Amino acid sequence: MTRRVAVIGGAASPNGKLQTPADAPLQTLEHEILAPLVIDAMATARLPKEEVDALVFAMCRPYTLQKYFATFMANYLRLPLKGTIMEVLGNGMTGGMAFDAAVNTVALGHADVALALGINMESQVTAADHAMSTMRATGDVDFHTIFGFTPIAWYAMDAVRYMHEFGAARAELASVAVKDRRHARLNPIAQFRKPLSLEEVLAARPIVEPLGLYEVPPRGDGAVCLVVCAEEVAKAAGTPYALVRGRGFVHEGAHQISEVPSDMTAFVAAQGAAAAAYRSAGIRPTDLDLAELYAPCGIVQVLAGEALGLTPRGRGAAQAAAGETALGGRIPICTSGGCLSRGHPAYVTGLLTIYELWEQLTHRAGERQVRNARLAAGSCELGNYNAALIHILEAVP
Amino acid sequence: MSLPIIDVPSARPWPPRISAFTKPFWDALMQGRLITTRGKRSGRLTFPPKPFCPHDWGREVEWVELSGRGKLYSQTVIHAAPAAFAGEAPIRNGIVDLNEGLRVAARIVGKPALDAAMECVVLRYTDGPLFAFRAIEP
Repeated sequence: MTRRVAVIGGAASPNGKLQTPADAPLQTLEHEILAPLVIDAMATARLPKEEVDALVFAMCRPYTLQKYFATFMANYLRLPLKGTIMEVLGNGMTGGMAFDAAVNTVALGHADVALALGINMESQVTAADHAMSTMRATGDVDFHTIFGFTPIAWYAMDAVRYMHEFGAARAELASVAVKDRRHARLNPIAQFRKPLSLEEVLAARPIVEPLGLYEVPPRGDGAVCLVVCAEEVAKAAGTPYALVRGRGFVHEGAHQISEVPSDMTAFVAAQGAAAAAYRSAGIRPTDLDLAELYAPCGIVQVLAGEALGLTPRGRGAAQAAAGETALGGRIPICTSGGCLSRGHPAYVTGLLTIYELWEQLTHRAGERQVRNARLAAGSCELGNYNAALIHILEAVP
Repeated sequence: MSLPIIDVPSARPWPPRISAFTKPFWDALMQGRLITTRGKRSGRLTFPPKPFCPHDWGREVEWVELSGRGKLYSQTVIHAAPAAFAGEAPIRNGIVDLNEGLRVAARIVGKPALDAAMECVVLRYTDGPLFAFRAIEP
């Protein structure tokens, strides 16, 4: 059996530095951050604790001391379950897969209410040390890692190729970071909320050329809990919700780079996943009111936006610079402030994406509310968008 | 043909593991040759070399030598490098489309322009080789 699934509640921590130094006398503990969010999220859903049947966690970073974190939390929260409990891992797609698995569990009837949740703690690990781990995730350890490639290095090469092929101006690309910061200033959970100018973005110290500090994801921590339930449960609760209208997934069978030369900046997995998601929802990209894209760098937001058909191919950067993807523009992208300014606690970023869509579609987004938001798309990815997972959500008042 | 060899007076920051299967690749590189595998049934090349053909899962493969020549598809300079690479940073890495129809990522020597004609060079570190590409001098 399958049935319609709703996102009915959520709660998220502020993004940024939650983790404490190893030698701090008082430590922040993952479960002490996440458990109150579970209670808050269930309060927004207006559902009692006893209704929860399943827990799907985004796996913790290896820096989290507690192992078997999921079942530890089931005990900490005293949650007996008859649906499922698991921790999922899918590189950048981890949070999105946790949401996807929670939705599936409900759609299949294994659970009436499922939580998709997680906490990503990494801010006390230096970028150079963290990269010693992430460099082994993006390519072949024995044939790519040997050169010192980092995850964002591949996105930088996307930027170089994109500007070369389409003549996009450097400033147009940089404008994405400025736009995202303007959005983040309106988001209480955003990691960065100070104003950011185009000049500052362009003058920032280089990280992976041509991308500078403000065009690559900040390091940070974050935690989030979403409440997913059968639509009839949501209706009975009388709580506004967002319906999961469509879903698409494609993995192109390549890990970071395909040895068969292809159009690297086309993001074919995102094109395919978007087509499948739109088809299953019975909509076209022009029907969307907003999109929250998994985009660790500005260039990724541009390319993913093009792959999803939100902006024309080769025009994404120019349209961002023209304000078409900003709040108030034709198709607002990353109203949360995105990975660049909302923050990118990577293993829960996919959950933060759905959290933003739920806030927008239930009209809880405050100053950054997209007026009359009804249809929204969320994406997540892994590698160089070698895989994409896209959900379409619809507001149900 | 033998590829140009550039001596690097240090050890590789992150040396590759070598298996019984990949050993011929690294041995050939040390001797100035870039080789990979081709599926005998499919006739298709793959990179990195594999003990089967990923395109049709044929189990029989043969080693073939590559020209090492191609075009620069993209590149970046990594300033925020992993700890092991701090001594080499900033690092210029890129993607080269070989004339044989293979896309390869590697270290880039010099500052070539995109779409430049490239040739493979062997970086001979003190503990073994890495492959890299540089622009072909006109």
